[in-house]
Amino acid sequence: MSRDWSRNFPSRRNIFLIGGGVMWGALTVRLAELQLLRGREFETKATENRIRLDPAPPHRGTIYDRAGRILAGNKRNFYVTLRPELAGSLQDVAKVVDQLGRLLPISESKKRTILQDAQTRARFLDILVADDLTWEDFARINVMAPELAGVTAEVGELRSYPYYAAFYHTVGYVQRANDKDVTRMIQADLDSIGEQPDTPAGQARARAIRRLYKHPQMRVGKQGVEAFAEIGLKGEPGKTRVLVNASGRVIDRLPSDDISGRPGDDMVLTIDAELQNFAIQRFGTESGSCVVMDVQSGEIIVMMSTPAPDPNQFVSGISQTAYDQLLKDEKNPLYHKAYDGTYPPGSTFKVVVGAAALESGAVDPDFSVRCTGRTWFGGRFFHCWEKRGHGTVNLHTALQKSCDIYFYEAARRAGIENVAAMARKFGLGHRYELGLTGGKAGVVPNDAWKRSNMNEQWFEGETLSVGIGQGYMSATPLQLAVMAARVAGGPGAGNSRLIASGAKVADQTIAPLEGVSEDTMQRLRAGMFAVTSEAGGTAVRAGDLDPQGLLPAPFTHARMAGKSGTAQVRVISAAERASGVISNADLAWRLRDHALFVAFAPAEAPRYACAVVVEHGDSGSRVAAPIVRDVLAATLKADPGSKPAYSPARQVASAPGDGEPT
Amino acid sequence: MIRRESILGKLTSLHWFLLLTIVAIAVFGTAILFSAASSAHNLQTGKPDIHADLAFNHAARFAFMLVVAIALSLAPLRLWASLAYPVYITGVVMLVAVDVAGVVVNGAERWLQLGPVRLQPSELMKLAVPLALARFYHQMFEGGRNGMWIHIPALLVVMVPVALVLRQPDLGTALMILGTGLAVIFFAGIGLRIVAAVMALAIVAVPVVYFFALHDYQRQRVDTLFNPAADPLGAGYQLQQAMIAIGSGGLAGKGYMEGAQKELDYIPEQQTDFIFTIIAEEFGFAGSIAVLLAWGVTLLQGMDIAGRSRSAFGTLAGSGFVATLALYVVINIGMVIGLLPVVGIPLPLISYGGTVMLTVMVGFGLLMSIHLNRDSNMSLRGVF
Repeated sequence: MSRDWSRNFPSRRNIFLIGGGVMWGALTVRLAELQLLRGREFETKATENRIRLDPAPPHRGTIYDRAGRILAGNKRNFYVTLRPELAGSLQDVAKVVDQLGRLLPISESKKRTILQDAQTRARFLDILVADDLTWEDFARINVMAPELAGVTAEVGELRSYPYYAAFYHTVGYVQRANDKDVTRMIQADLDSIGEQPDTPAGQARARAIRRLYKHPQMRVGKQGVEAFAEIGLKGEPGKTRVLVNASGRVIDRLPSDDISGRPGDDMVLTIDAELQNFAIQRFGTESGSCVVMDVQSGEIIVMMSTPAPDPNQFVSGISQTAYDQLLKDEKNPLYHKAYDGTYPPGSTFKVVVGAAALESGAVDPDFSVRCTGRTWFGGRFFHCWEKRGHGTVNLHTALQKSCDIYFYEAARRAGIENVAAMARKFGLGHRYELGLTGGKAGVVPNDAWKRSNMNEQWFEGETLSVGIGQGYMSATPLQLAVMAARVAGGPGAGNSRLIASGAKVADQTIAPLEGVSEDTMQRLRAGMFAVTSEAGGTAVRAGDLDPQGLLPAPFTHARMAGKSGTAQVRVISAAERASGVISNADLAWRLRDHALFVAFAPAEAPRYACAVVVEHGDSGSRVAAPIVRDVLAATLKADPGSKPAYSPARQVASAPGDGEPT
Repeated sequence: MIRRESILGKLTSLHWFLLLTIVAIAVFGTAILFSAASSAHNLQTGKPDIHADLAFNHAARFAFMLVVAIALSLAPLRLWASLAYPVYITGVVMLVAVDVAGVVVNGAERWLQLGPVRLQPSELMKLAVPLALARFYHQMFEGGRNGMWIHIPALLVVMVPVALVLRQPDLGTALMILGTGLAVIFFAGIGLRIVAAVMALAIVAVPVVYFFALHDYQRQRVDTLFNPAADPLGAGYQLQQAMIAIGSGGLAGKGYMEGAQKELDYIPEQQTDFIFTIIAEEFGFAGSIAVLLAWGVTLLQGMDIAGRSRSAFGTLAGSGFVATLALYVVINIGMVIGLLPVVGIPLPLISYGGTVMLTVMVGFGLLMSIHLNRDSNMSLRGVF
């Protein structure tokens, strides 16, 4: 045994123990730092750690019509959720879903979706089983809840549309947001505050929006005003304080009154819901659209498209089969015919052609042509709708009888550039920003348009087609209403709008009607009056709005002035013309002519303008004109423009302490 | 009169104070594991939420291993010495086998599957290395060889398993084996000048190792240590949450079974490597210091036992095991409180897990055997 070694050991041991002591000391100092000096700091962090702020869906703003009727409101929503982890294994979940199926109307495909969610999503997340339940269903689930593991019956808010199908297109509808909607809303939100998506602040905002739209009670505007004004209607989400664990499971809800959100802005539309309903009922089973405008203010009183689905069925999710059926329907119920539908304006466009011919000096007011039923131009015949011919016609009688030959000649003399410029002056070829999604500009063709769209120069023969509102010419019913309002005159005729308050609509870039002489305007109005009110007019049976003198002053015995139009959908060949044009009644519905009518009333002091398109309605004067007559008569009776639009803020303002008006 | 050499005689002269300390720590560990799985009031129901299986397993393992340790303590020291080389060589062979046919767990090969048994040979080396070194030195000294050159084969005995364990890769265990081996060489009387030179070299080597020898995940753990907040959801998450739990414990803690961080599953591995966070959260600074003190007392007793042995084998094997224990405690608590990188070393007798319980209790058996045989200046001549 080595002496050296055993003599050395005690000192080595001491060195080791001193080293160990230093380490123990280091641990102690560090523990003292963490637990004694910084204890409070970590306590705060521990609390922050556990409390998460969940978004609480704000109260969505109400959309009113001009009289304060609710077009889109919120109703109490009874809904049922299922949390898989509380139900147990997947078999248990399936059993619970089966039991629920016996208590509630749940389709088989919905059951499959629920089970799929239970399998794929985190088991502590609530799955929406059914919503929009009746009180009876809700009460039944509440009673049974103790036996249904993981099932909760809750009360929330859901969008509702009291007028059902009437405002499907214009007001639109809300739905559960899909990933595309969420991306769109994040983009819109970041744009609205000018934040970049890749900054920390932008990312935090994007996260918050994503979380909000994933909430089972949250919906997003998909179409119409609901979609356009989403940011304002939505409001600012409040927050619910929840206690969560590390995996994000909500353990408890904590009081959160101090962080409630801001409800969404209420909106008022210029629409009159009763008149809109009246117009829809007047259409009956016909497919088409109607726009009524206040000539004084430019406010849109009616903007309807029929048929339409009930927007309420979209709020809780429409079934695929039902949606497919809507898509296949040949009457296009999903399409906003008044705003997105473009039609050849047909003879209603003759008003514009007349104005172009007069204003360009191509014809004088006394200019007349002889109508023999057809005219030869550019190597082919151009036909008048009246095969026998109208004889000698001037502007007044040509409008009254809707003679095609006169307007072929008028358009040819004026030239396409003058016709197109005049069409724009009367409001065609422009997309009107009204505050809802969609909207078409239609086509006002000229040489430049044809060169850029068809790579071809303009041929004069095409000017003749445009002269009777056919050819490349197309317009929406909204534009036709604007055109009628501009012919009627009135200070607000150029400034069409749909939103009375609640949302800012982007500045309108509509040029006012100017540079048309009063004499020309008078002649146009006189021609349109002749259509409905002078013997031989195409719609002379539809002119009288008040045969019994029941309307209040100043509308008693009012008449309307208008212009019919019948727009061809198909091309009529020379062979068919020779053997006799097939009558509309013998054609398939989708090949029949569109029936159009534009008008204003009262004829001598215009107040309202109206445009109606009845799809494949056969004849403007016979089918569309009576609808316009009845709608305008109803509008005069209600006279919505005489009362200011409803203001939801006014009710709040009448608080105690407000003095008498001085 | 009981004869000293009888089993009864040996039992009565066991190191009871050491035994008591171990039992105290293990009982405390059982209570902590009970708390780790339970909570005083479930956050949803408000009722106590009791899960005793972890604690029960821990207690059962400890009770079994305590009997094993006492039985081992009765074995003559000569038997320990004679088994030192075979165990060491078996361990090295198994480490090579792991390298060739090991089971990959969490991206590291540490386990060897032999039938139903999963062995972790690197754990065995924590004891085999000091035992082999102690026997080597004992025989060297017995033969009168005490030149400095004898430390060169000793260093080889250490470096072979260290290199093999590093290949797995298991940095924590490799460091522990290296530390234990170097401690034994230190106790065996290597020149202080050489020690100083090696330490200087080590300090120079740290950046070299950091940049060239560490795996990416290991380097990340080191980075995390210096800036845990940089990546709170990634590598720094566990550490950040651990520090919140420890810091929020304050002076006196939140009370037994009242830890909130624990209840919400914020800290991964909380019943094993991060068990200290529960002690610190529920018993505060006072509880943390108590654990440090208990281990301090244990280590002092261990060094005392090692120092009293008349044989070089007993002294060196005993102090080597004490060094192992010290490394366990320092590395575990050091990493949990953010002083050392996270390397996956449990806290003995408190962390849940069978392997560490086995290693440590066999070690205590060795220590108590050294104590019982302290007066024998045994000769290892003729032993293979």
